[in-house]
Amino acid sequence: MSITLDQVTKHYAGAPVVNDVSLDIGDGEFFVLLGPSGSGKSTLLRAIAGLSGVDHGRIALHGRDVTHVAARKRGVGLVFQNYALFRHMTVADNIEFALRVRRMRGKARRQRRQELLRLVALEGMDDRLPAELSGGQQQRVAVARALAHKPEVLLLDEPFGALDAKIREELRRTIRQVQRELGITTVLVTHDQEEAFAMADRIGVMNLGRLLEMGAPHELYWRPATRFVATFLGAANLILARRTPDGIQIGASTVAPAERAAGVQEHEVVAVVRPEEVEVAASREALTSGYLADGVVDEVLFTGARESLRVRLEEGVQAPLLAYADGAASAALQVTRTQHEQRSFEVRTGQSVAVGVRRLHVLPTPLSSFTACAASAASAEALSRQPLLAELAARMKTRIAQRVEPHLGVDDAPCAVEGAFVGATVIASQTDCAHRAEWLLRRGAKDLLVLPEHAHAPQRVLIHWMGEAARSATLGMSASVLRHVPAEAVYVGIFAGESNRAPQGMRELLDARSEAQAAHGLEMRTELRFGDVAQELAQRLAESPAQMLIVGVTDLSRFAERFRALLDGGQWPVLIVQRGAT
Amino acid sequence: MSFSKPSVLPGFGLTFGFTTFFLSAIVLLPLAALVLAAASMHWKDFLDVVLSARALGSYKLSFGASLLAASINLVFGFILAWTLVRYEFPGRKIIDALIDMPFALPTAVSGIALTTVFAQNGWIGRYLEPLGIKVDYTWLGVTLALTLISMPFAVRAVQPALLEVQRELEDAAETLGAGRLYVFRRIILPTVLPALLTGFTLAFARAVGEYGSVIFIAGNLPMKTEITPLLIVIHLEEFDYKGAAALGVVMLAISFVMLLTINLLQAWGRRRHVRVAR
Repeated sequence: MSITLDQVTKHYAGAPVVNDVSLDIGDGEFFVLLGPSGSGKSTLLRAIAGLSGVDHGRIALHGRDVTHVAARKRGVGLVFQNYALFRHMTVADNIEFALRVRRMRGKARRQRRQELLRLVALEGMDDRLPAELSGGQQQRVAVARALAHKPEVLLLDEPFGALDAKIREELRRTIRQVQRELGITTVLVTHDQEEAFAMADRIGVMNLGRLLEMGAPHELYWRPATRFVATFLGAANLILARRTPDGIQIGASTVAPAERAAGVQEHEVVAVVRPEEVEVAASREALTSGYLADGVVDEVLFTGARESLRVRLEEGVQAPLLAYADGAASAALQVTRTQHEQRSFEVRTGQSVAVGVRRLHVLPTPLSSFTACAASAASAEALSRQPLLAELAARMKTRIAQRVEPHLGVDDAPCAVEGAFVGATVIASQTDCAHRAEWLLRRGAKDLLVLPEHAHAPQRVLIHWMGEAARSATLGMSASVLRHVPAEAVYVGIFAGESNRAPQGMRELLDARSEAQAAHGLEMRTELRFGDVAQELAQRLAESPAQMLIVGVTDLSRFAERFRALLDGGQWPVLIVQRGAT
Repeated sequence: MSFSKPSVLPGFGLTFGFTTFFLSAIVLLPLAALVLAAASMHWKDFLDVVLSARALGSYKLSFGASLLAASINLVFGFILAWTLVRYEFPGRKIIDALIDMPFALPTAVSGIALTTVFAQNGWIGRYLEPLGIKVDYTWLGVTLALTLISMPFAVRAVQPALLEVQRELEDAAETLGAGRLYVFRRIILPTVLPALLTGFTLAFARAVGEYGSVIFIAGNLPMKTEITPLLIVIHLEEFDYKGAAALGVVMLAISFVMLLTINLLQAWGRRRHVRVAR
C-alpha cells in the first residue's frame, strides 16, 4: 500500500473536520477525494502532506509511519489550486527548487529539469517568469516542480479550480498521462464530480468530515449506499418505496420484480432513480418500462445534447412518494432525455404524461423517513418542526410524516391508525416518555427516536445494544445517522458487575468495532464500563452536552421501568432500535 | 518617451503640467532658494562653516545614527510587521494602531517621553546606569529617538508586501524539502526585499531630518551629541542665515546621494528579477 490512513481525526474548534477516516491507496493508483466544500477533503490532503498534524490516528506512506514526520521529509509532491509558484524565480529555478535544496549538481539538475519540462510539454520555457505564463502553463510548471524530487506520492489540491473549461480538460489529460507514465500514486481533491469521473481509478466521497463511500466511478454511480453519494454524484430522484416479498413497490406498481428476496419483512426503503432512467410517454400503454405514475410537465429546459424536464406527479393515495418534498412545489421528478427520445415524443410545459422507470437502485440505508407521532394533531405538527428533526430530515433529503395516536400511552388501547409504522417513529421527550415508548414498541414501532424539545445536533453519538439480535441493526442505524451528523461515534460496552470480566469485554469491543467497519463502513471508538446498563448510559450522557444515544433492544419486558432513567425528561435524543422482540 | 506619443489614458498633458508645477512650487523652488542663499557666500566662508570640526562631528552623528536607526528598524520593523500579518492574537488591532503613534505625536512629545524613561533617574535609565549604560546625553539616546520616530515607516512599508507572501508558497517549499531557514532566505526575503529597502529608505530619510525628539534626550554637547539640524537652528538663532543655508545644502547633497544610491540599487534589483518577456 502506498498510502494508509488509520482512523485519522482532526478537530477544529472542538468539532471534527476530519472524522475517523481509514483508507488504503494502492501503488500507482489515481485516487480522487470528492466532496463539497467544508467536507474535510483538503484538510485530509494537508494531513497526508504533513502540513497539518492530526489529533488522532496514523498515516503511513509506503509502509513507513509518517504521522509525526515533518512535511519536508515525507517525500510527497503537492500542487495547489492557485499554483503557488515562486514568482521571483524563473521556471527553471522553480522546477529545480527541490533539487537545489538537496544539493544536486548543476549538470544533473539541468538534465532533470529538461526531462520534467518535456513531461509537461513546456520545453524551452526555462527562462520565463511565472507572471509571463498563462494559468494552464503555470499549473504545468507547478506539477513539474512537485515531481522534481521524484516523490513517491503526488497530491493535487483542486488543481484545476482556477482554470477555464477548455484548458482544464487539456491539463486533466496531461496530468493523467504523466501519472500513468510515472506510475506514481496520486491523490486528487476536488468538488467536481465530472472531474472525479474523468480521472479516478477510485473515488472516495467525503461529507461532514467522514469518508462515506469508496469505489470505482461506475460502481458509486450505479450502486451508491448512501443518499449523499447518490445525490452528490450526478442527479438523483429519491423515492420512498416498499420492499415486499414480490419486489420493490413504488406507488401502485411493483417495478422491480427482479430484486426478489424471500423471507423479507415488508418495510419502507429509499429508491434511487437517475433522471436518465425515467421515461415519459403519452399514455401508460405507450411506456416501454414499468409504469410509475401519471404526471404533469412543469418545466422543460434545453441544455444542448440533452433536455431536462421536471415532472410533477399526480397526487393520490397510491401515488409514489418523493423522499424529500420541501413544500409541494418541488415535489417533482427530474428527468433528462436524449435527442433521440425528444424526437420520438415531444413534450411541452403543462402537458400530461405517463411516467415510467427503467431502472432503480435501492439504498441499503435503514433510515428511510421519519414519522412524528403524538396524541394530538397539534403536538404532532409541533414535533415535526423540532429543529434537530428538521435538520436531520433535510440532510437526509427525506420526509417527516405525522401520525396521531389519541390513546398513546393508554394501556391495552390499540393503535388508532391502521397500518404498520413507517420509517423511524419520533416522539417528544416528556415525563412518562419511557411508558409511551414501550407502548409504541409493543405495537410494532421498530425504530423509535425520543427527542427533547431543545435538542440540537450532537457532537458525539454513543452506541450500545442489549442482546445480540439487535446488534447488526443498531450498527446499521448508527452508520446511517452518523453519515448525516458531524459527530464522533463511540461504542459503549457495559458489563454487569465487577471489572474482572475486562478481557472478555475488550474482545467484544474489538468485535463490535470491526463489524461496524466491515459491514457498515462506520468507524467508531470504544469505551468499556461496568455496572447497570441504563444507569451507566444515563451517567455517560450527563457528562457532557450535545450527545446522542443509539441503543438496540431485543427484550421489552419491564422496558419502561428499565429505561426511565434514560428517557424521562432526559436532555439528549435517544434512538431505540428494536429487533427480535417477542 | 516623446510627449506627442498618444497615450492610453487621456489628459497626459494636463497631468504632466500639473505635476511639474506642483513639484516646482512645493519642492524645487524652496530648495533652489536654499542653494541660492548658500551660493551668495564666499567659497572660503562656505568651507569654513561646512568643514568646521563641529559641523563634521554633527554630520557623523546625524548620518551615522540615522543609518543605525534605519538598520534597527529594518530588522525589528520586519519582525513587527510579520507578527501583525501572520498571527491572530487578542489586541492585535490595538498594536496595529499603536504603530502609527509616532506619526501623529508632535516630535517634541516623543523626546520628552523618551527622556522621562531613559534619563539617569528615569524608569528604565536608573536600572541601566549601574550597568554602565548611559542613554541620555550620548549617541545612544540620539539613535533611540531616531529609531522611535522612524519605526512606523519601516513597518508600514513591509506590511503589504508580507501580506502578499501566501502561506501556500511556504507550504509548497516545505513539501519540496526546504527547511524553515531556507524558506525564509529563498522565498520570503526575496519577495519582501524591495519593500524592506523602501522601508529602510523612508526611515533613514525621516531620521536624518528629525530635530524635535532628539534635542531633549541628546543634551546637545558640541562634537558629541549635536546633530546637524540642531546646528542649523543654532546658526539661525545667531541670525547667521547663510551659515544655516550652507549646512542645509550639505545635508541636502548627502541625503540626495544616499537616497539616489538606494533607489538605483532597488531598480537594479527589480531588473534582475523581473525581466521583460522577449
